[in-house]
Amino acid sequence: MGFWIYGERTEEGFHPVVLELVGVAQKIWPQPEEITVVTLGAEGARPVAEALRAYGVRVLWLHHPELSYFRDDLYAAVLAEKVRAFKPEVFLFGATSQGQALAPRLAGLLRLGLTAHCTALELKDDRLIQIRPSFGENVMAKIVSRTRPQMATVRPGVFPKAQPASVEGELIEEKLEFLPPSALKRRAVFSRPSKESPLSGARIVVAGGRGLLTKENFQKLFELAEILGGAVGATRPVCHMGWISEDHMIGVSGETVAPKLYIGFGISGALQHTVGIEGAEVVVAVNTDPEAPLMKRADIAVVGDATQILPRLIRRLREVKEGDHGT
Amino acid sequence: MHLIVCLKPVPKPGTVKVDPKTHTLKRESADLILNPPDRYALELALGLKEKYGAKITALMMGPPNAAPLLKEAYALGADQLVLLSDRIFAGSDTLATSYILAQGLQKLSPFDLVLMGKASIDGETAQVGPETAAWLGLPSLTQVKSLVLEQGRWVARRVFERIEEEVEFRAPAVLTVEPEGELWPPSLKRWLASREIKEKVFSAEDLGCNPELCGLSGSPTQVLEVFSPTYEGEREVLSGPPEEVVDRLVSLLQERGLLKGG
Repeated sequence: MGFWIYGERTEEGFHPVVLELVGVAQKIWPQPEEITVVTLGAEGARPVAEALRAYGVRVLWLHHPELSYFRDDLYAAVLAEKVRAFKPEVFLFGATSQGQALAPRLAGLLRLGLTAHCTALELKDDRLIQIRPSFGENVMAKIVSRTRPQMATVRPGVFPKAQPASVEGELIEEKLEFLPPSALKRRAVFSRPSKESPLSGARIVVAGGRGLLTKENFQKLFELAEILGGAVGATRPVCHMGWISEDHMIGVSGETVAPKLYIGFGISGALQHTVGIEGAEVVVAVNTDPEAPLMKRADIAVVGDATQILPRLIRRLREVKEGDHGT
Repeated sequence: MHLIVCLKPVPKPGTVKVDPKTHTLKRESADLILNPPDRYALELALGLKEKYGAKITALMMGPPNAAPLLKEAYALGADQLVLLSDRIFAGSDTLATSYILAQGLQKLSPFDLVLMGKASIDGETAQVGPETAAWLGLPSLTQVKSLVLEQGRWVARRVFERIEEEVEFRAPAVLTVEPEGELWPPSLKRWLASREIKEKVFSAEDLGCNPELCGLSGSPTQVLEVFSPTYEGEREVLSGPPEEVVDRLVSLLQERGLLKGG
């Protein structure tokens, strides 16, 4: 059972990241029949487990009434036992809230290495090369693990989803008899006040960093976003400075965006931010320093003071727009 | 009630140096600050102290030059300061770090709750909380935003992407705290008093650590290499007076059909 993927379930079925992990597994793992999604649940989750077979993967479905909802200690203990029994080579998790609660607990129980938030994965001589932005420095790190299974969490939205396959995968069902005790008991669950990111699905994203110097300057991005029909994004430092809420943060600890057009004002381009814009079609950077990483990565690099360019761009676009209405 | 808040010294953004050999952080050479998300863990502990009465221990693993950061925790309201510091801790990945913290926590036991920030701003793994709980055999919860005590049981409100849950558990447990809500500044009186406060320092030997499980030898993950991503492709560079540059930018965007449907 070579390549395992944690099958995180949500109210609506599998979390989308599961299919992304299947997609990357099918791309790098030489024995596709060994790709296995492991999912835990109560009896009623059967249709969800069944549905994954269409993607040509094996599904290991472990069920027990007590597994009806996620519990950190219980889920980790059940998975630890299965990992000991089946000895997979790789075990991947989505870097979701649940994945980030479960994977490290499992790694701690089994004394395994775990790499967080990978943005790329490669296979070299049976070793999983786990690639992630490193240390807040502007470098990517290639990380390997001395222990097996090689465990990593992967950012949602980074890899394309797997497509339905011509041959269905098998479903291996196991009704668990004995469960370890859990110290956790869910008393209530609430839906979260719509936390849909203001950035999700945006076709145009205008983002700002410290180079905008003041909150007042940063606010002008909203004007620009309105004219362009886009959304406002931000780097982590400006969120921490309180210029804008963290819902607008793009990057490792924020959102991943894939707009047609991204414009970054006064953003130097730390990897912490730029991993979140990998999918952007056209990148425009505005910065006084032509050597800044985002300027080098941009399709259009505007050398200039973002605080000067932004208001002029807004004015110019207004003129263009009014001109259009006139014709 | 004994609450232990784990605090991480992190390099002030922009001052980090990486050891070219091991690719790990050279913390000694950087300006250190308290990991900002850890402030929320301390804030939650301070709220519990006010409500139920508690002793708060601020626990940090780090080099000796991180010790002054603990005084900040005292100024904010921590009662006891503990630094875990030893050369053999250097280069620890999250598994080795959580082992060392678990040894420190056992030394400080008994405790009710261990509180940590959601993630650090340097490594950003969010792994050390649940890993530490696993070493100790204690329950873990992540992204906790509030806690109440009801008839000897704790009830935590915990955050996922689409839902929040209310979970009941019994102490001791290890929790990570969601960074949200207000942070209160330290009192001047405690700031002044913090100068006189000395932290306890524990070495690997004091903690009975197995050296094999610490530092690089205790770290199953290894950095093979680091590289800078490169991007190929045409790049248009616009420079000159702002008005001109803006005109050219707008025409370029129009040419590429990026300004339609506004």
